[in-house]
This record gives sequence, C-alpha cells and structure tokens, in this order.
Amino acid sequence: MKTRMRAVALLLVLCVLLTACGQSAAPAAEPVHEASAELQEELSALSDEVIDPNLTCTITLGNWPADTAPESELALFEGYRATMAKQYPNVTLVPDYFSYTLSNYVPMAKGGTAPSIFQPPFTDPQLLISQNLVGDVTDALEACGALDKFSPSYVEMLADENGRIYGLPRDGYVLGMHINVALFREAGLVDDEGLPLYPRTLEEVAEYGQIIHEKTGKAGLVFPASETYGGWLFTNIAWNFGCVGENALEYQDENGRWVCNFTSPQAIAAMEYMRDLQWKYDILNADATTTDWAGSHSALGIGEAAMNFAADDAVDQPTANKGLPLEDFALIPFPAGPEGRYALAGGTCYMFAPDITPDQATALMAYLKILGKLPFLDDDIIAGMRADYAAKRDRGAPVLPAISAWNDEEYNAAKQAIIDEYSNVDMRLYNDFFDSISEGTITLRSEEPVFAQQLYRELTAVIQRMITREGADVMKAMQSAQDSFQEYLDDEINT
Amino acid sequence: MNKQARGISPHGKRAESLKAWLIMLPGLLLMSFFVWEPLLESIRMSLYKTENIELVEFVGLRNFISVMGKTNFTQALANTFAYTFWSLLIGFFLPILLAMLIGETVRGKGFFRTAAYLPNMLPGLAVIILWSAFFSGEKSGVLNILLSRVGVPRQSFLTRADLVVPIIISIATWKGAGATALIYMAGMASVNPELYEAAAIDGASVWQRVIHILLPSIKKLAGTLLILQIISVFQIMYEPMVLTKGGPDNASLSLMQLMWQYAFGGSMDYGKASAVAVIVTVILLAMTLVYTYFNNKESDWD
Amino acid sequence: MKKALRTGVIREYDMHSLPVRIGYAAIYVLCFVMVVFAVFPLLWVVLAGFKDLREFMSSTDILPRSFSLAPFLKTWNQLGIAKNYLNSLISVAGSVVCALIFNGLLGYGLAILKPKGYGVVKKLVLFSLLVPPTISIVPLFMNIQHLRLGNSFVPLWLSYGANAMYVVLFIQFFESLPYSMIEASRIDGCSPLQTFFRIVLPLSKPICAVVAIFAINASWSDFLLPYLVLRGGPLQTVMVRLFVFSTEQTVNADAMMRSVVFSMIPPIILFVIFQKQLTDNAVSTGIKG
Repeated sequence: MKTRMRAVALLLVLCVLLTACGQSAAPAAEPVHEASAELQEELSALSDEVIDPNLTCTITLGNWPADTAPESELALFEGYRATMAKQYPNVTLVPDYFSYTLSNYVPMAKGGTAPSIFQPPFTDPQLLISQNLVGDVTDALEACGALDKFSPSYVEMLADENGRIYGLPRDGYVLGMHINVALFREAGLVDDEGLPLYPRTLEEVAEYGQIIHEKTGKAGLVFPASETYGGWLFTNIAWNFGCVGENALEYQDENGRWVCNFTSPQAIAAMEYMRDLQWKYDILNADATTTDWAGSHSALGIGEAAMNFAADDAVDQPTANKGLPLEDFALIPFPAGPEGRYALAGGTCYMFAPDITPDQATALMAYLKILGKLPFLDDDIIAGMRADYAAKRDRGAPVLPAISAWNDEEYNAAKQAIIDEYSNVDMRLYNDFFDSISEGTITLRSEEPVFAQQLYRELTAVIQRMITREGADVMKAMQSAQDSFQEYLDDEINT
Repeated sequence: MNKQARGISPHGKRAESLKAWLIMLPGLLLMSFFVWEPLLESIRMSLYKTENIELVEFVGLRNFISVMGKTNFTQALANTFAYTFWSLLIGFFLPILLAMLIGETVRGKGFFRTAAYLPNMLPGLAVIILWSAFFSGEKSGVLNILLSRVGVPRQSFLTRADLVVPIIISIATWKGAGATALIYMAGMASVNPELYEAAAIDGASVWQRVIHILLPSIKKLAGTLLILQIISVFQIMYEPMVLTKGGPDNASLSLMQLMWQYAFGGSMDYGKASAVAVIVTVILLAMTLVYTYFNNKESDWD
Repeated sequence: MKKALRTGVIREYDMHSLPVRIGYAAIYVLCFVMVVFAVFPLLWVVLAGFKDLREFMSSTDILPRSFSLAPFLKTWNQLGIAKNYLNSLISVAGSVVCALIFNGLLGYGLAILKPKGYGVVKKLVLFSLLVPPTISIVPLFMNIQHLRLGNSFVPLWLSYGANAMYVVLFIQFFESLPYSMIEASRIDGCSPLQTFFRIVLPLSKPICAVVAIFAINASWSDFLLPYLVLRGGPLQTVMVRLFVFSTEQTVNADAMMRSVVFSMIPPIILFVIFQKQLTDNAVSTGIKG
C-alpha cells in the first residue's frame, strides 16, 4: 500500500517539476491544481490505518475555514478531517469558525464555550496562561514525543513558570521589507543581472525612496500609520536606532516597576527619522495615517509604492492577492539603523480551551500531527506539506523556506527539501533575507514585553502627528505619549 | 353576555388590569433586557474592576479617575464637542434651507423630495466606506480627481487634523439632511398659503415673509430637532472608527469610540468602557432636560 | 387638468418681478445641484465596482475602462455574498415580526388599555427614546454572553422588540383611533387581546407598514450588535461582513466597493417600492427612519 503511494507521489513530483521546467517564467496553475487534488486523495488513502479506536471525545476546531474560503483551502481541511476520522474513529471533530481576538476569546473561555483549539498571536499566551484561560497539554505532548524538540525560545513563550506547556507554535515570521522590483527597475536601481539594488540601512531607504519618487512619481515607501500598525513597525526602527537594553521603549526597573521610555535620544532620533521621511525626503504614500496593513500591501502590489516594511509570512499579500508578478517582488532584510540591526520576530501559536480533558489533549495532538505542526515526518505529513505548498503555488503565492520553531535538524532539512521542490521564485530575490537570519547578521527580537498593543497605539498617534504636521515637536509629542503610556502601565500592572 | 359585569365590578377591573399587564409583559421584558437593565448595569459596572465578563472588585470612582485622567479622554471629549459644533454649523441649517428650497418648487417637488430622502435609506456603514474613497488623498481619490479637473493639485484630506471632524460631519449630513428637510417641510406646511398671499398683497417682500411667517412656523420644531441632533451626534462612533480610525493623532476620536476601544479594542476593560458610557449618559441627560423643556412646550404626550 | 399648487412663500403675484423670477430660477438650480449631490456618490460607487484593484487605486478617471459585469460576479462568488444575503434576510424577517408584535402590544397597552400604573412605563419608554442604544452596548453584550446567546439570531430579533421609537409610533397612532369602536368591541365581550387582533390591528395597517419599513431598513443596516453577537461565524449578515472587511482588511479595495454596492441594493429596492410611503411618513411622523 505505502510503496504504491510513494510511487504515485514521485510521479506527481516529476509532473510538477516537468511543468515547472517547461514554463519556468510563469508556473502553470492547472497541473499543480490537479496535483493538489490527487494529493488530497493520497492523503486520505494513506491514513486508512486506525491508530486508536478507543479514544472517544469531541473536539471543536477554531479557525476552520468559512464556507466562503477558497475551495482549495476547504478541501485541505476536509482532508485533515477525513484522516482524523480514519485514525481516530471515535473522536468527533466539530468545525468552529472562531477567529481569535483577545476580546472575543476571553468571555468564551470564562463561559466554557471556547473552542478546543484556537490560534492567538505570540503576544498573548503569557496573559492567557496567567489568567488560567488556556489548557495544559504537557503530558499529551510528552506522550507523542515532541516535548524535547521544542525550541527553547518558544518554550519560554508558551509555558508557565513551572514549565508546563500550554501552546504550540503554528508559524513564525520575521519582519523585513517588501520591494516592488518593477519600480526599482524603472528608477534604474537594479544591477547587471536585473536584481534590485536595495537599501541596507534606514538612511538608504530614504535615499532610494527619493530616487524612486523622482523617477517614477510613485511613493518610495508605504507606511501604514494607522491604529497599531504604525507603532508596531516603528518599534523595529527604534531598535535599530538603539532603543534596546537600557534605552528600551519599555523595561522593568530594579523595583519591578514597568517603565516606558520614549524620550531617550535614540527614540527621539528614530521619531525624527519618521518625521523626515515625510517632510525632508517626502517619500511616504499620501494617506499614511489611514493606511492599514492591507492598504500597504495593495499599494506595493499594484505599484503605487516601492517599499513596504513587512514580514515573510505576508509575501502572498502583494503577489497572489494584489496581483504583483512574482518576478517583480523581492523580500529583503529589515534595513539597519545607526545603532543596530534588529528584526522583529513573532508568530501565531495553537492554544487550547481551559477545560480540555486528557483525552481531548491527546486527540488535539493527533490532529496537529496530521496538520504537520509537530516535528514528525511520515508519509501523511509529507503529503500534507505537499498539499500545502501546491495550494500556495496554485494561488501564485511564493513558496518560501519556513522559519522553524523546532530544534530538529533532520526534520528541518527534510522539510526544506520538499519546499525546494515546489519553489516558484527566483531565490536570489529572497536569499539575503533568509541568510541574514541563518547567518545571524541580523538579530531577532520579540515584541515589547507588556501591553504591546497599547504601546503601538500611543506611538502610532505620535507618528501621525509627525507626518501630518510639518515641524511638529518630536520631544513634546514623545513626552506626552510616554506620560500617557506610563499612566496606562501604572494602572494596569504597576500596582 | 356579561356586558356590565366586565366594566363595572372592581374584581373585573383588576382582572382587566392584570390582562393588560400580561399583554404588555413580553414588550416590557424585552425593554428591560435590551434597554433599561443594561443602562443601570453600566452604572454598576463603571464602579467595578472587571475581569472579562465578570465584575471582580468594587473600586468606587477609580475607573472614572483613570479614564478621565488620560489625554485621549480630553481629546475625545473635545472632539465630541467639535463634532457637535460642526454638526450645528453644517447639519442644522442645511435641512432648513433644503426644506425652504424644495417647498418653493411647484413642478418636480415629488422628485426633489425623493432624491433628498434617498441617501437616508442607505446603510450608514456603506455610506462611510463609499465616502472614504471620495476623500482619499491619493490621486485616484474621487475628490482629487474632480479637483484635478479644475487645476487644483492633489490634496490630503483625512491626514489633516483640522479637516477630519468637519469631513465626518459632512458625510453624516449628506446621509441625514434630506430626511430632516422633509420633516421641516411638514412643519412649514402647517402655514396656510393664504397667509403668504395676504402678506404679499399687503406689500411684504418675499424675504420679509420668510422672516416673519415661514421661520417662526418651524421655530419649535427646530428646537426639538436641534436637541435630537445633538444627542445623536454625541453617540458618533463607527464613522470615525471606519473612516479615520480615530486619527490622525486622535483628532477624530469620539467618546463613544473611546468606549468601544476600552471594551472591544483589545484591553477588554468593560469597567472603564462603562465609565465612559456613564459620562456620556450624564452629558446627554443634561441635554435631555433641555429637550423635555422644549418638548413639554409643544407636546401633550404625558 | 390638475394644476400643481404653489404652496410656498413665493406667490403667483410675485412672479411679475424680475428679481423674484431670477431667484426662483436659482431655487431650481439649487434643487438640481442637491439631486446631483445625492445621486452622484451612488452612481460613482457602482462605476467604481467595474474597476479592478489596480485601476481602482491608480486610475484618475471616474469612468471604468470596461463595463463588464465579471468583477461583480467574481466578488459575489468569491466572497460568498449569497449566504450573507440569506442571513440578512432571516435576520430582517425575524426583526420585523418582533418589532411589530412586541412594540405593537406594548403600545396597545399604553395607548388603549392603560392599566393602573401605566404612566410610569410610558414615561420610561419616552425616556428611552432619548438614550442612544449604543450607549449600553457593553453590558448588553455581557448579558448576551452570560445567557450564551452568542452566534444566534435570537438576541438580534428580540432587540427589535424593544424599540422605544416604534412603541411611541404605535402609541401615537392608537391614540388617534376612534375610541368608540374599541369600546364597542369590549362591550361585545371581546378580551383585550381579541380586540387587538380583531379591531385595532386591521385599523393599524398604515402604522404597521411604517414600523415594518423602518425595522427592515434598520435591521438591514445594523452591524454593531450583530457583529458582537454573530462574531466571525457562519451567520454573518451582509453588514457584519462589510464591517469585518473594513476592520480586518481581508478583502481588496475594489472588492470592498462591490460589497458596498451589494449592501445597498436591497435598501434601494425597498426605497423604489415604498418611496411615497417613506417620504410621506417622514413628514407625518416627524421621525427619521
């Protein structure tokens, strides 16, 4: 049975490779689509064996794609469900369309209606754990042998002080910069091979932006200075201006009091940089203060802006979703500042309802294993990964190396090999980004530790002031934001 | 046939009364659940520290102190009054003017009335999203397209702190002014046209007739609508939420939006959200007193 | 031949004076300007729907390059708007029924039955008229969560059964009914409820139509409470979907404009059918829909 399946898989891979070779410029969508459909069959065929007929429970699965999701995505999840039904015939899966936000999750957790599994961002696990709003899966994780492969940095994020685990990493991202290569080309900013000459420092961002603005009339940089996005991106810029360590935007002093510091010379310099982007270099998009995350991807994707601070997990936004051809898109490392070269790293994790039973925890681990989210490679998971990457290709989204959350060389290498098979991009447009991470030329840093969203909100307001008022007083605005956020910290945490 | 017994005997009366209350009961229960209880509950909640949907600790006025001490509250309060000011400037007089204009037309009156009412039918959210494309600061923004035709260079609208409030009020006025105008027209229709005729024959100019006959006829109505308008402007929330997200630099943040931010914007601080709601209620209550003052003058409902 | 009546300030007599005639022409010009103002944005959003993302965000033309309906169909199918339409219809239908029955009965009690102590309730209802509904949305949301009524239409339907404005409309209308007929029915031995259904309701078709139209439009346009109640679930209505689009940025700007068009179609149809009732009602009831 299994050998036959392998043969089929090999054939499919060959098919994919051949079509890819035949039409290297524009990977054909059709054959890949068929491949993904057949992989689905393979996926369900592979999982005939019953693993545990005695495990009996019901689990509700948050983030189930709504009926309105793309068909390929629905098929993928239906495939997972079919596999689960075969391996654990007595586990009932209930799809839930729940999409996590802190505010909608907590009442449900309190009311006992939280889905068994859901996906919060990495900013929230510690808050949820401290409030006892999530379930412990340590034992189930140990039973399936994944506990010791957990990357320590993730353990820190997903465990309580006793080392009990409450979550699993789903995916990670690292902030960098998206580039519209077509606009760089138009402005003459490409080398002999047609690769973009991209900015390596924030200063160069301003310079390149000016050149592009002059030559093409388009915005050099699109900056989503609305709600929390502006502050989110700004923290990374501030780190590169030196707002780390004793100059960090927020830190805990020796008495355990959380203090915010927006008025260090480094923070002020970073904010002056933001102001200059608008008034000195004039490279920002027109409506920065109302531009949101999607808006910034749109601007880059349709060629209204040449650069956008964004992460590797959002590469399908400008490309597949907004129509930028893959050969016109590049991902580069976050530009360095005068005092540092940091890149914000974060992601989403899986967490579990506070009232899950040991049986449910076991079933959930089995489900995550089928999804390929645990560091195991068997035929099922490989098939699942293939289906995933095939679906990505299908949509015209770049298939890129994933940043792994598991300390397991073998697993990571095998995964990379599969990704390479499906690659649909010129990796030269991405290599510097991934190399900077693997070679450590850029330092990864997580979001600010406490009340990051509120901090972003305050900083966004300052950025808005900077780019809407020429000659705005940076020190004054930062001081007032600092006072306001300090009050917030004193209210919420320093009591 | 117990005709008499029903109406007369005290027992019958009580039974009738009971039946009447039973008939009203479902409505009363719903009013309690959806309107009255939440109103009282928000007062109670504003005095508590909340954790998620539970009240955990009585904290007295601490929520109020904390909310009012923050700069965004001062900004929101000032903005809410700015909304009110602009809505009086733009939104109050325009419907009266429209009513006067449409009222003067003879042919096409029905058509004008229909056109004026149309925007009021459209969903408010759709209207805001629609207008956001008009005020886009990009070259592709509708207003910029129209301005470029007359040689005006590209303008930014929503990034200007001094413009966002009047812009939002203009949009709200676009939606509501026509419908309000029709109400004024009804008020103006109470004047017998013969009165104008007589004044005209007496030599009163058109303008004098407007000042001395037409405008006095809607004075009371205008007073009532003014208060109603202030009350409705005070709860402006989703308009800035969708159009400017409160920006730039909180220049369009309204009090109700601040409440929404506390409750559903990530921090889930329902206690502080309720504190903001109570503050708005108190301000509105003061205005309600003014309203009842006007209302009692012209209505005999209670 | 029926001649349109001149009911305004300007009389036939004034039309002999040139300045008045010029002013009168100016009134017509202004009225037409108003019509353009009212209609142009609507027309524009439909035109914008024909543009693709690139054209929508870059083009400086009002008119789209092509008038193909394909983008509309694509958005309709891709976002599965049909399902949201169905949800909205269910939500609207239940809301209208609740709005008529519960507010009608309460209005009947307060306007006609007037049992002992009704005055307090009437004052409370009138007071509620002045309290914006959003103001207590936080505790209401918590109550609904406590009762575990989330992700269901029931709280949304019932919320229309608690509308002070509709109650007041009913009260005003019922008070104008000829009391003799109600008295006669009572003397004939009808119970209050029978009287309501046999006498009052048949006489109240106009006000029921008014409340129904208002409730249809309001519940179609409503999205704040529905958003909190229905969350991202399968029951999302059209307006909730639009709100989610506008806050969570899941759709492209061009598809957003088409969604706006979709959300406006039913109210416009309602308007076309009932425009006379609507504009007359705005006049007779003095309350905006």
